[in-house]
Amino acid sequence: MLEQQLVNGLMLGSVYALIAVAFTLAIGVLNFLNFSIPGLFMVAGMLTWYLLRAHIAWPIAALLAIGSGGLLGLLVERFTYRLMARSAHFVPLVTSMAFLILLENLVLIAWGSDLQRVQVPFETVSWRVGPTVIAVPQLIGLACAVLAVACLDILLKKTRVGRGLRTIAEDAETAALLGVPVARVVPVVFVVGGLFTALGGVLFALNYQQASPFMGEEIALKGIAAMVVGGMGNIWGAILGGLLIGIVETFSITWFGARTVDIGVYGLLLAILFVRPTGILGGALREQRM
Amino acid sequence: MVLELRNLSKSFGGLKVVDQLSFSVARGERLALIGPNGAGKTTVFNLITGVYAPDAGSVLLEGSDITALPSRLRIRRGLARTFQNIRLMPHLTVLENVMIAQYARSPGVAALLQPVGFGRANRWREEAQAALGEAGLQSHANQMAGGLPYGIQKRIELVRALAAAPRVLLLDEPAAGLNPAETEALHLALQAIAARGITLVVVEHDMQFVGRLCQRVVVLNFGVKIAECAVAEIHANRQVREAYLGTDELAA
Amino acid sequence: MSGYLESVLVLLAINTILAYAAFLPMVAGQLNLGVAAFVAIGAYSAGYLSQTYGLHPVLAALAAIFICAFLGWLVAFPILRTRGIYLALATFALNQVVQGTILNLNVVGGASGYPVPAHIGFPVVATFAVLVVVAMVALFHTRFGISFIAVSDDERAADLMGLSVRGLQSAAFTAGAALAGLGGALYAHHFNYIEAQNYGVLFSIYVVLYVLLGGTQTVYGPLLGAAVFTLLPELLRGSAAWRYVIFACLIIAIMSLRPQGVLLRKSWFSS
Repeated sequence: MLEQQLVNGLMLGSVYALIAVAFTLAIGVLNFLNFSIPGLFMVAGMLTWYLLRAHIAWPIAALLAIGSGGLLGLLVERFTYRLMARSAHFVPLVTSMAFLILLENLVLIAWGSDLQRVQVPFETVSWRVGPTVIAVPQLIGLACAVLAVACLDILLKKTRVGRGLRTIAEDAETAALLGVPVARVVPVVFVVGGLFTALGGVLFALNYQQASPFMGEEIALKGIAAMVVGGMGNIWGAILGGLLIGIVETFSITWFGARTVDIGVYGLLLAILFVRPTGILGGALREQRM
Repeated sequence: MVLELRNLSKSFGGLKVVDQLSFSVARGERLALIGPNGAGKTTVFNLITGVYAPDAGSVLLEGSDITALPSRLRIRRGLARTFQNIRLMPHLTVLENVMIAQYARSPGVAALLQPVGFGRANRWREEAQAALGEAGLQSHANQMAGGLPYGIQKRIELVRALAAAPRVLLLDEPAAGLNPAETEALHLALQAIAARGITLVVVEHDMQFVGRLCQRVVVLNFGVKIAECAVAEIHANRQVREAYLGTDELAA
Repeated sequence: MSGYLESVLVLLAINTILAYAAFLPMVAGQLNLGVAAFVAIGAYSAGYLSQTYGLHPVLAALAAIFICAFLGWLVAFPILRTRGIYLALATFALNQVVQGTILNLNVVGGASGYPVPAHIGFPVVATFAVLVVVAMVALFHTRFGISFIAVSDDERAADLMGLSVRGLQSAAFTAGAALAGLGGALYAHHFNYIEAQNYGVLFSIYVVLYVLLGGTQTVYGPLLGAAVFTLLPELLRGSAAWRYVIFACLIIAIMSLRPQGVLLRKSWFSS
């Protein structure tokens, strides 16, 4: 029983990990808490449902939905960071919140408030390892998440864009002086973040066969907890935090009931913020402005 | 002795920034604290005002030991300061910035609830206006402090510190970044303040300024007091010259 | 007065109170995403008191103010040790934990909602709102107003100028919690039904956004923000979702053009 819960927690955690990566990238590089990310998660999930219902082949539907994340991420960048980087420090955060509200309500208008069943066109194969059942699509999802983060890690360490991002993370002001094409590099944070979040949304929709306009609020927001617990600004911390939050959630449901999830997950976030705000893998505490 | 430092020491991560520093300031005196960059002068001010707690030693204000006194209570005892990097509140007007320091003269929740914004005649606002007028800054009274020129902001900081009616005024590089005309105006203003009986302790690099304003000098290097003498004698002091490695300022 | 007009005005009154509940911590430099939690605590505790103990609903509302003030003061101790984004995250986490806890309290209905039969009519709600506005205007003509901003601008300098930074921050947070509780209690007793599901962080976000719309530079900003948020959809006839879409677009526009909000100020004290 315990092993099953652990497995379930890890599978769910891989979704949280992807969202946490998007959050942590924006925080680490731009010191920006991007509240629009849950919105992108939701749009990708809902698009998956919609496209599958329209009988579009699932690989294409998935790719389109993931792409939407990148596109929306770019749009958010235009209207938050691009326009306002020089304004008061809270402005990008506030505007990203407005985007979350905008996306949620646009989807409500388009498709109503119901929870939608996602018609998955393939058989859900499961492996049995002793008494434990592992759904193969979920396992693939976990593998995708880890692979995606590994690729991102390589991007950050070995490519020019990656070096540019790390320079901006160190000191945004001197990055431009050092020759980093800031205006071309910053959007990468938003596009990559958007792609990661959207991948999470697609995986969630396919693996749990549901999508709703509220899935951003209800699910993706926990990505913030995952990011903080794992360590803000650290993408491997995002994986760790995501998996941990997934496990905490699964155990909360099993031991205390379905409605105690928020208490467990956000209680952990609160505890970490008081005790060790830099998170498990986080470094020295930086003066974080909004 | 209105201000006394006894064997004050402070280390940051193994580096001793202030080492067994002792000196005292007499009432009404004008003392300069000088030394090369990194000598620990601003740290000394931070120790006196309570920003940092010393590792050892004590600070006495008018005979009483204030070493353990919380920083926000020290201004109420008559100890005010200005800052090396200007620290006005950018989202308050000049007048409001000055009024902030008045609180030290009548602290408490009741004072916070005083309606200073109502009515034409309000003694705190009028007093702040008058102080700004005296300093020639009345035209800026209702402007946001954040956008003003550097020289103006420096003068406002001084008016603000005085609004607390201090007996000892710590000035951290008051002449830094000022042109000759502004420096002269500052000198006259500080002379007038000193004439009112307020004790001045000044951290400065401008030796001419120090020579004209101050009577006595304490010289710091690497956190250690290497000399203490009358202003006229600095030039003759070999240790001081060595500390500055023969800069032209001393020869002036 | 028609029933419809009356509900709109009641919502305006309550939204105004909530606006000031968010405004106070914000002026002191705290982005409080936990406003909804205190609204919920106020609503549920007042509802519980009037139902279970037969307390007169107005007294229940007053009790809610004290309960939320006390809890806010208590919570401020750990919360105010964090700063900036960590503070925002801590209040966000607090909000979700409180909401989650209420969802599990079957004594107040849990996830099924909580009917609150005792009724508070429009005149009383409006009176409370007016009192709150008057109190806020008065407060910001005292030293409190400029002291909050001083602490928000530069904690270190404010401390050295003699202000009690912790005391002021705590006062702002506590007063904000108290006002939020009042708003919640009034809502519960006028609309006679509350649901914990409504009090998630998104609720706090809405309040914070409409306060920023009006602007945090004047004491009238929150009033304007609440008015725009409440009355705009009425002018534009449409579903609730469209109202939020327009509101969101308005926020994005304002933040790109005039991030300080609509109402700017020259001075807290006109002289």
